[in-house]
Amino acid sequence: MLDLHCQLIMDEFEEKRPVFERMEEIVSNHLRKLISDKGIYVNAVESRVKSAESLEGKLILKGKNYSCLSDITDILGCRVVTFYVEEVDKIAAMVESVFDIDWEQSVDKRKKLDLDQFGYQSLHYICRIPKSLYCDASCPELNEYRFEIQMRTALQHVWASMHHDTGYKSGVEVPKEYLRSLNRLAGLLELADEQFSRIRTEINDYRRQVQSLVADGNFDAVVLNGDSFKSYMQLNPFKSLIDKVAGINQAEVYQDDLTPYLQAFLRIGCKTLGDIERIRRECSEDAYQLSLHQLACTDLDIIAQSVVLQNLCVVYMAKQGCNEKMLCQFFDVVNGENSYNATRAQRIAEQLRNLKFAE
Amino acid sequence: MNVTIANEGPKTVVTLSGRLDTTNADQFQNDIAPLFECENPDFEIDCTDMQYTSSQGLRMFLMLQKSVTARGGKMVMKNMNPQVREVFDITGFSNIITIV
Repeated sequence: MLDLHCQLIMDEFEEKRPVFERMEEIVSNHLRKLISDKGIYVNAVESRVKSAESLEGKLILKGKNYSCLSDITDILGCRVVTFYVEEVDKIAAMVESVFDIDWEQSVDKRKKLDLDQFGYQSLHYICRIPKSLYCDASCPELNEYRFEIQMRTALQHVWASMHHDTGYKSGVEVPKEYLRSLNRLAGLLELADEQFSRIRTEINDYRRQVQSLVADGNFDAVVLNGDSFKSYMQLNPFKSLIDKVAGINQAEVYQDDLTPYLQAFLRIGCKTLGDIERIRRECSEDAYQLSLHQLACTDLDIIAQSVVLQNLCVVYMAKQGCNEKMLCQFFDVVNGENSYNATRAQRIAEQLRNLKFAE
Repeated sequence: MNVTIANEGPKTVVTLSGRLDTTNADQFQNDIAPLFECENPDFEIDCTDMQYTSSQGLRMFLMLQKSVTARGGKMVMKNMNPQVREVFDITGFSNIITIV
């Protein structure tokens, strides 16, 4: 049961709830736009206006601390959950640039912990909407009421949610052994957050290194995988062959996806980009001859660019002495397994037999 | 080239017969125009009696495929004779369009 003082705050809350709901829309829209404009991929952007039940619970516990509704800074609460620790600081910098921060009330709980402590890590800013961002003369409270923005990583969020679930706000004391376990878990999650950041940094370093090797033409040093193949394809290594094949019938080239050919090149034994380069250099003329054999007697003036890579791979396989079964397996990789691949392999094998290089 | 369009349960079945070439490509485009606005963009194109397709036909199948994909549907071509299938294979269109 609330005392009169708290009941007055509750009444004020019910009256002003629409103001907080407007603030929620303004703040969450700006937060989402800020994050999107900066190209940061976050786990979640959440917001809520406190429920009457939750506020009542807060007032029962701490009502004496508040003289009026505007003293309560978390009626509107927003939360940005990031994937990486560094992004918490990035989001914080963006929030500082847009909203007015009440520094006295804001808390960096990450810094409040001693070196030998683990626990709730989160950055809480108490903010106002500046008039420069949004102003409605008929509703000055929009710029007067404060709200809270929490910024934390997904793992910090998991820990905070579990900690919340222990009922620490209810005033019921939880046995120390459980809190100790929870705090040990916080240390583990902090370590995991660090590892995620380290792994991301190493992956980015690796990608930059691959891009550099590819740009320098040092193909033999680059292991063939999704990243390296993507960097390699950005050099348009097959453009001249594709243009030459298109020239057979002055065909339009449809730029279909060449990504499936990563698996095709792996299938035919390529281990580095250097292996693909050798196939390109040594088999391009024969791949052109195969395309010439297929297209020259037709009036087909549109081709998908992938058919050129397909013929390049097929010619390489023929030179390696492949049989129809191996060709069929190749088509299974490129197009997915289906009953027609055997027929297609048979036809290609017949065409290859008519070309000199395959003899 | 004859085109018939029929609704069969959740999908639309398009049946093609004859040759699709430069002489009738415009007519074919008109015939399949409703498919670009069809509410149910799940198409099965039956090519059992289709004798040939030219580049214009390939372009229209490609346009239709793009339209279907953009609307969250799927397009499958089936029962192609070997000559028609060869056209799709040597142009690489069988890498783009689902053929069963």
